[in-house]
Amino acid sequence: MTKKKSKLLGDQRFIVLLVIIALITVYVIFSKEFRKYSSILSMLDFSYYDILMAIGVTFPLITAGVDLSIGTGMVCYALIGGTLVRNYNCPVAVAMLVCILLGCGIGLLNGVLIGIMGLPPFLATLCTCMITRGIGSRCSATPWPTLKQPGGWFHSIFKLTFGSGRGAFKFPIGIILMIILVLVMEFVLNHTRFGRYTIAIGSNKEATILSGINVKFYHVMDYVICGLFAGLAAIAYAAVTPTVQPGTGAGLELDAIGGVFVGGVAATGGYGSIIGTFAGVFVIVLLKTGLPYIGLQANWQQIITGFVLIGAVLIDIIKRKRAVAKQ
Amino acid sequence: MRKKVIATLLSTAMVASMLAACGGSSSASSTSAASSASGAASSSSAAEAASSTSSASSESVGTTATSAPAEVVASSSAAASGDDGTAQFEGLKANEAYAFPMLVKSFQSTYWDAAQEGMKKAAEELGVTYTAQGPNSESDIADQLNMLNSAINSSPKGIGLAACDTSSVIDALKTAASKNIPIVAFDTGIADAPEGSVVCTVATDNTQAGEVAAEHMYDAIKDEIANADGQVRIGEVNQDATALNIQQRGLGFINKMIELIQKDGKTVSVEGNEFYVNAAEGADTGDTDVVIEVAVPAQTTVELCSTEAQTILSKEDTIAIFGSNQTAAEGVVSANSNLSVLGTDASNGDVIGIGFDAGSTIKGAIEDGTLYGAVTQSPLMMGYYAIYALTMAANGDDPADVPTEGYWYDSSNMNDSEIKPNLYD
Repeated sequence: MTKKKSKLLGDQRFIVLLVIIALITVYVIFSKEFRKYSSILSMLDFSYYDILMAIGVTFPLITAGVDLSIGTGMVCYALIGGTLVRNYNCPVAVAMLVCILLGCGIGLLNGVLIGIMGLPPFLATLCTCMITRGIGSRCSATPWPTLKQPGGWFHSIFKLTFGSGRGAFKFPIGIILMIILVLVMEFVLNHTRFGRYTIAIGSNKEATILSGINVKFYHVMDYVICGLFAGLAAIAYAAVTPTVQPGTGAGLELDAIGGVFVGGVAATGGYGSIIGTFAGVFVIVLLKTGLPYIGLQANWQQIITGFVLIGAVLIDIIKRKRAVAKQ
Repeated sequence: MRKKVIATLLSTAMVASMLAACGGSSSASSTSAASSASGAASSSSAAEAASSTSSASSESVGTTATSAPAEVVASSSAAASGDDGTAQFEGLKANEAYAFPMLVKSFQSTYWDAAQEGMKKAAEELGVTYTAQGPNSESDIADQLNMLNSAINSSPKGIGLAACDTSSVIDALKTAASKNIPIVAFDTGIADAPEGSVVCTVATDNTQAGEVAAEHMYDAIKDEIANADGQVRIGEVNQDATALNIQQRGLGFINKMIELIQKDGKTVSVEGNEFYVNAAEGADTGDTDVVIEVAVPAQTTVELCSTEAQTILSKEDTIAIFGSNQTAAEGVVSANSNLSVLGTDASNGDVIGIGFDAGSTIKGAIEDGTLYGAVTQSPLMMGYYAIYALTMAANGDDPADVPTEGYWYDSSNMNDSEIKPNLYD
């Protein structure tokens, strides 16, 4: 076997790609409904907020931290934004901006608690998870404007609709935006000072501090970026959920975090890629939205998702041990 | 290196084989655990249906021909209870300024806001107070149980309870009974509550509400069933298979649909979620004219309900779908945003969608013709009568159950004065 081939197989992203192909093949064989264009559309609809959350949370995960507040945070921002639109006649664009700012705000709070005050990431973000869940529950269930209502233009960010009624053609423009975002963030991670320092913090924080880098600043910024993406995810969530319901959102972050691990971010931090995250989240989304198509009952869907996660992390660990052994 | 390749192939094969193996076993269902539970559910629903038929005549809240099926169970239990629910509260006064903890299922939907409005009204009329508490979501069974336990520990004169999960509260109810704290179950009846704990149930007759949905759906699709070339499919999305009200509503719909279809000489079978498949009564087996497919999501979120609805709506032979509560119905509406198959004219090829409860999404979908109609409960009246029943129990009297009805509404009557107050946003 040539060196190039072995490198390819060693790359988790390639393995994830194989899993995606395998899953799609199984679905296509067993379900004739899955082959429909509308099924792809709805799968993509429900993938955007997972993808956005996952891109964001990749940064804290690379620093060997975590952000548990993104799921409840996302719902909380969507609720506040929706309430502003519904009850205070606020323009949708402003509500979207509010979502993003709130996300950055909670991200900053997380960052300060973890990077400066020294709280363990799990604990700090668990607290902000509860806080955002509680704040969200203060609002009542809020629908954002539908496509046909005034302000419904924001749906077109994710899905373009031509025509109306049954003959309408819909194009999932959101996926193109996601790919662009993924490429931009991949560049940020690998080719900017911010990205390189993030990886440095994750692989050896002490050494990074000793080399004179302002670790506190970059550590806080990682959580702010994560919050920013949670804010963006809130907009995507509002676009696909008819009524954003208070009290929900707990557990949604786990889909994103699970996806990041499937995508090959090291559980110990210090390594990761946004493209891997993107592929990993896709596996989770495929499991979440695809399994019902082949007639699987709900409990089995969760069991299988759990096993796939175990498999993904195991592959990562085995790979790492091999690498160490080779050295 | 070769090991890596093998490992990769193995893991892929593992995933694939798991999928294939599980996929095969989904529709074939044969557990016995569910059937005993359904026995309990249906017997209590029979009693509720019976008392509702007697109350329907005297209740002032107008109905739109919900046609409470008198033939179902006008048996001994109805005669024994012999009370029409609301008349008992006439002239009721609180002996002292009671304070009641009211445990709602969550503050997730505006449904519970409407219930609280009713509580507030009753509390003001009677000069009592209440504190509404509830977990963050209807799935947080343990959280609600904690709230119930601490409410019991504070020894109030009575507790209002809308149980998220009817079986997990049984122990707490035993404690309440031993401390002589009367419990009024509202919204959700508790079928096997221990003796002396639940003194009164104020709940929608969910079986009847499900039947109303089935009757209106059948009216819209009976020509399609009669003239169908092959098999046709009716979908039902139930948020869960554990809460009694969802169980009763889901089964009320399924059983009524089976009855209506068989009356017109067609055969019908039920597939999907095991609980509902086993609990359905009188279904045919084998290759039938009509299939009722019941889907239950892994969690009670709109997203997962939508995925389940999407799966059913994608099938070519689907002619109608019922979402049995607000979350499930919104899931149906959301699934339709990509498929655009729902409509109000079945002969034109539209799939008939029927919802439950209200909320602005469902109301909007009915107004614009996406949903054919929906069944609403009366959360306002449930909250209202729950406070009355608690006051009566705290006074030392013995209140009788108060069944409230499910009302049909569609674009033609949703602004009527007797329907509109229940259609919360």
